[in-house]
Amino acid sequence: MTRLRLAAALALGAGIALMGAARGEAVWGVNGDTGLSFWHWRSDSVSVELVQRLPDQTRAFFLGRGFSAEAADAIGLGCVFQTIFKNTAPKGASTTLEYHLGDWRVRTEGQTRPPKLKEVWDQQWKEMGVSQAARIAFRWSLLPTSQRFDAGDYNWGMTSFGLAPGTRFDLDLVWHRDGKRETGRLANVECPRDLQL
Amino acid sequence: MRKPLITLMLCFATAAGVAAERSDQSLTPVEGRPPAPELDLLDMEGVRHRMADYRGKVVIVNFWATWCPPCREEMPSMQRAYEQLREEGIEMLAVNIGENEDIIFAFTANYPVEFPLLLDLDSATIQNWPVRGLPTTFVVDPQGRLAYRAIGGRAWDDPDLLAPVRRLKD
Repeated sequence: MTRLRLAAALALGAGIALMGAARGEAVWGVNGDTGLSFWHWRSDSVSVELVQRLPDQTRAFFLGRGFSAEAADAIGLGCVFQTIFKNTAPKGASTTLEYHLGDWRVRTEGQTRPPKLKEVWDQQWKEMGVSQAARIAFRWSLLPTSQRFDAGDYNWGMTSFGLAPGTRFDLDLVWHRDGKRETGRLANVECPRDLQL
Repeated sequence: MRKPLITLMLCFATAAGVAAERSDQSLTPVEGRPPAPELDLLDMEGVRHRMADYRGKVVIVNFWATWCPPCREEMPSMQRAYEQLREEGIEMLAVNIGENEDIIFAFTANYPVEFPLLLDLDSATIQNWPVRGLPTTFVVDPQGRLAYRAIGGRAWDDPDLLAPVRRLKD
């Protein structure tokens, strides 16, 4: 049973200084069963949720798909979240949403950068000699780098932010609704700590 | 006396919730109805399937993997839909991405299905289709064109969702 430990950082438009900031709310909570934190942005037709994945979960997943221990450790410690992006517009609505992960911004300790995209990881896997089959599994396990959703569409996949376990950061989300740029912010997101299962 | 009433109310609320969720489902028409890309794959029984084999029929083509939560979630509803649709001459194919027969065989112990599970071991096929994430499902019309698509899972046994699929036969 999922429960909210804290009521949350309600953004509701105010407090978001970015141009095109969407009216919405950012919620932080903890899954009562797993103890893992989640951060959820919700606004009209848009839902983006990040759920922590423990490094051991991610290591085990990729070890089971042909990664070496070294490669599995690299992604396991890469600040990985299960991420769900949904177009929650009602049936029949013509609302389209598009995102490109390269537009998102990770803000931590005065630095700003995009998430670590699967294309960047793939170059690393090539250099480390990760097998083609393992790279295929990796490619399809991550959230698509860009995607367009019509009403009712959604995707699940991992996202990686390339930060050390326990690092805190703000994440600026960007999407385009019917071609118009909108933004939201998830504040004080925490990279999963390297707890042993 | 009070307990059965509460149970009844909970059942009603659950059923209403499921109905509400289902009624909000949709398929997106594919603009211009382009030809479906080629598909030439073996299923778990070693039988070869090509898109050309299905000309004249409506075919639902689903791309999935065992590790993908929404893929697993929608699989039982695909089986229930298939039990209805096969009687109507509508076919269903589920293309697994990058996993071998042993993994899929173990998966089907918990998720038994009767429609063909095709093996895209090197992901060469999915790269020719307009798919970016799993699951993604297409409905191919009898002329071999992409008529509808769904990104993310659906409850496939929902009559409202299947209505446009059935209309493609006409």
